[in-house]
Amino acid sequence: MKVTITLWDRDNPLIPVEAEMITPDAFFSGEEIIIAVGNRHMRLDGIADIHIEGEASSAAEVAIEIRGDSARFKRVGEMMTAGSITIEGDIGMHCGNFMSGGSIEILGSADGWLGREMKGGEIICHGDAGDYCGAGYRGGRKGMRGGSIEVVGSVGDFACEHIAGGEVIIRGNTGDYPCAEMKGGTVIILGDCSRVCANMSAGTCYVYGYADEMIPTFERIGCVDRDGLQLHHFRGDVANRGHGDLYVARYGYLS
Amino acid sequence: MGEILLKNAWVIDPISGINGEMMDIAMDGGRIVEYVSDKADVIDAEGFLTLPGGIDSHTHTSGTKVNFGRYMSPEDMRAGRTPKKGAMHVTSGYSVPTTYGNSYKYSALGYTSLVEGAMAPLEARHTHEEFAFTPLQDSFANVLFDGNWGMLGAIEEGDIKRAAAIIAWTISAVKGFAVKLTNPGGTEAWGFGKNVSCINQTMPRFDITPTEIIRSAIEANELLHLPHSVHLHCNNLGTPGNYTCTLGTFDIVPDLNDTRQTLYATHVQFHSYGGSGWSDFCSKSEPIAQKVNMRPQIVIDMGQVMFGRTTTMTADGPMEFNLYRLHHDKWSNHDVELETGSGIIPVNYRKKNLVNSIMWAIGLELALLVENPWQCLLATDNPNGAPFVKYPEVIALLMSKKYRDAEFATVHQDTGKRVPLPAIDRELTWHDIAVMTRAGQARALGITGVGKGYLLPGAEADIAVYPIRVDDIDPAQQYEEVIKGFSQTEYTIKRGRVVSRRGDALVHGENTTFWVKPNVPSEYDMTHDERFKEHFERYYSIRMSNYPVQEEYLHRNYCIRTETDLSTTHD
Repeated sequence: MKVTITLWDRDNPLIPVEAEMITPDAFFSGEEIIIAVGNRHMRLDGIADIHIEGEASSAAEVAIEIRGDSARFKRVGEMMTAGSITIEGDIGMHCGNFMSGGSIEILGSADGWLGREMKGGEIICHGDAGDYCGAGYRGGRKGMRGGSIEVVGSVGDFACEHIAGGEVIIRGNTGDYPCAEMKGGTVIILGDCSRVCANMSAGTCYVYGYADEMIPTFERIGCVDRDGLQLHHFRGDVANRGHGDLYVARYGYLS
Repeated sequence: MGEILLKNAWVIDPISGINGEMMDIAMDGGRIVEYVSDKADVIDAEGFLTLPGGIDSHTHTSGTKVNFGRYMSPEDMRAGRTPKKGAMHVTSGYSVPTTYGNSYKYSALGYTSLVEGAMAPLEARHTHEEFAFTPLQDSFANVLFDGNWGMLGAIEEGDIKRAAAIIAWTISAVKGFAVKLTNPGGTEAWGFGKNVSCINQTMPRFDITPTEIIRSAIEANELLHLPHSVHLHCNNLGTPGNYTCTLGTFDIVPDLNDTRQTLYATHVQFHSYGGSGWSDFCSKSEPIAQKVNMRPQIVIDMGQVMFGRTTTMTADGPMEFNLYRLHHDKWSNHDVELETGSGIIPVNYRKKNLVNSIMWAIGLELALLVENPWQCLLATDNPNGAPFVKYPEVIALLMSKKYRDAEFATVHQDTGKRVPLPAIDRELTWHDIAVMTRAGQARALGITGVGKGYLLPGAEADIAVYPIRVDDIDPAQQYEEVIKGFSQTEYTIKRGRVVSRRGDALVHGENTTFWVKPNVPSEYDMTHDERFKEHFERYYSIRMSNYPVQEEYLHRNYCIRTETDLSTTHD
């Protein structure tokens, strides 16, 4: 089943839309898709054209495509278990919250909390992602637990905070404090970052660019060769009795 | 608050000696009356179980400590959220909900009065503001005196009357209800990085022991004729082997009052541990319960632990620090100037954990082994042992051996070797439950005089109607029906008004804060005592004149005045 959602132009495109029902699971079950525009609940076909083609025998066979200005659409793909969502433009916050299967492809950029607390599945973002990509939520102890996220651009601050499993590849740079409180999983940062892996207890992180303001409580073990590149190997965070592995190509401490 | 006639109510009212009678209850002007006119609104209770409104004699729902629990656990706010509905505000939170969340959920369980277990006097304003937004329950505040320098100084000098005068001044200044001691001596010692190991260890700075603090506070409390007795959280909470300390504490309690107990020991489950460490940790509920059986001057509450996530919060700072060293999770500690301290950490009680399983068993054992239900009240020390929404499950466990056995089969496999629970066959009756959830509380708190805890004419019209037909179900077998029935009232009536129906709050409500004002003779009035004033100016961060809580913080309130034995002619 192919679902094409074409969003109409809105009078005030800044009003956020809570769209947690836009998932392959909901379209497969045939439920009424209710969204909230600001504080008003309404059906999705009240703000978009929905075109459905073909049949599906499971949620895995549902492919959703979102066209138009979706930059303020929040929680798209929340809790999805299978199928695919393709977003042609930008997407709002909390895209792929708690997802456990299926795939989301974002051709534009994503806002904060991309793939927060996800358990499985795959997210590819061709643009940039906001803060807290793959992270946990306020007060939570565990961020992303499984699956994979790839961001072709750069991400904001606190990327992969509390990450406990899964794999994240960030091809650009990150903001401050990527992998803070990391507990598991693998994060690969191809660009630069600052204050990486603060208070990590387990997991693996690679930084192929420059790691600025390295946390001083990491123990340097030695050098390893990876893909023909020499990486410094650190263990820590010693302050947290951690056993995480941090590999960085170049680094500097706060002077 | 017009006239209401509640018809066909199947009433259990232990204080009035009613054990299962079909009755009609008439209400007018917020009180129960003999008759109402034909114009009264009629509510048909359809033969359902009808009890006086529930009273929680030890809960943490309001105040700075609870609020700190809220903002250090944003994840708890995600755990329970309800939208605005009718008269109900938006609520959030599970173990430390917003004030409205607490109020609506308590009301759905049939509770109409709450005692905040520990209010730091210096932070009383905050507590009273939260009371104002807990609209469906009347509120009472226990005032912390465990580390009050003024009182400790008077005790050190051996001047009980001065200690009583300081209690009287403070309690009426902060609009509190009763005297609370939390780890007496220990919380104050924690300010110097120390603790006290048991009741006979001298504390730093003051040359007195917890024994002297407890005994003097009890004597002072009785000199002031306060409605409630001293409310004690014993020393050494949560340490293996602490039961000897608890027994020692119970031994020093005199019997000074004819109408109620002389000591209320709270969350005794946390104080009934045997063993020398966590590896041989075991239940010592039997000696504790025996001691309570032999000493009618003591009333305890269970402090039941139920499995699941919750937030622990207490004025016992050193205990919370020890808990942090076990869990390595987020934690907070706090010191309140010359008065007390506090600590908070979130915990998850798990069935897979042997210690947690034993704790769960101990609470139930206490309730089952204490013969007189008036002496062991039902509470979880909300939210320390479990959030109060678990009360229906606790009730069902106490009423059904079958349910206990079924639950016991799911806890840690070694629990059976460490606890006597599987050998206990007692199953509590509906009457016992009515005592342990309202009548016992009303008597222990000494608030029957203001119309709480019974249903005869003259009483406050606080009533809970549960959708349970007592003759149709056997609680020992149909425990799921018991849980369901106690989880949601058919009607909760507060001050002559239906405030909650089938789980939904119907009105915004307006509660009453009860506070006490002992009538002290002028020579014991601390307002004019030079030494006390000097102590205040020298050590407190605020002036004495700014300390008392103004009445506008209380909205609707009721002052209980007591006559005291402080006059010098008695000397």
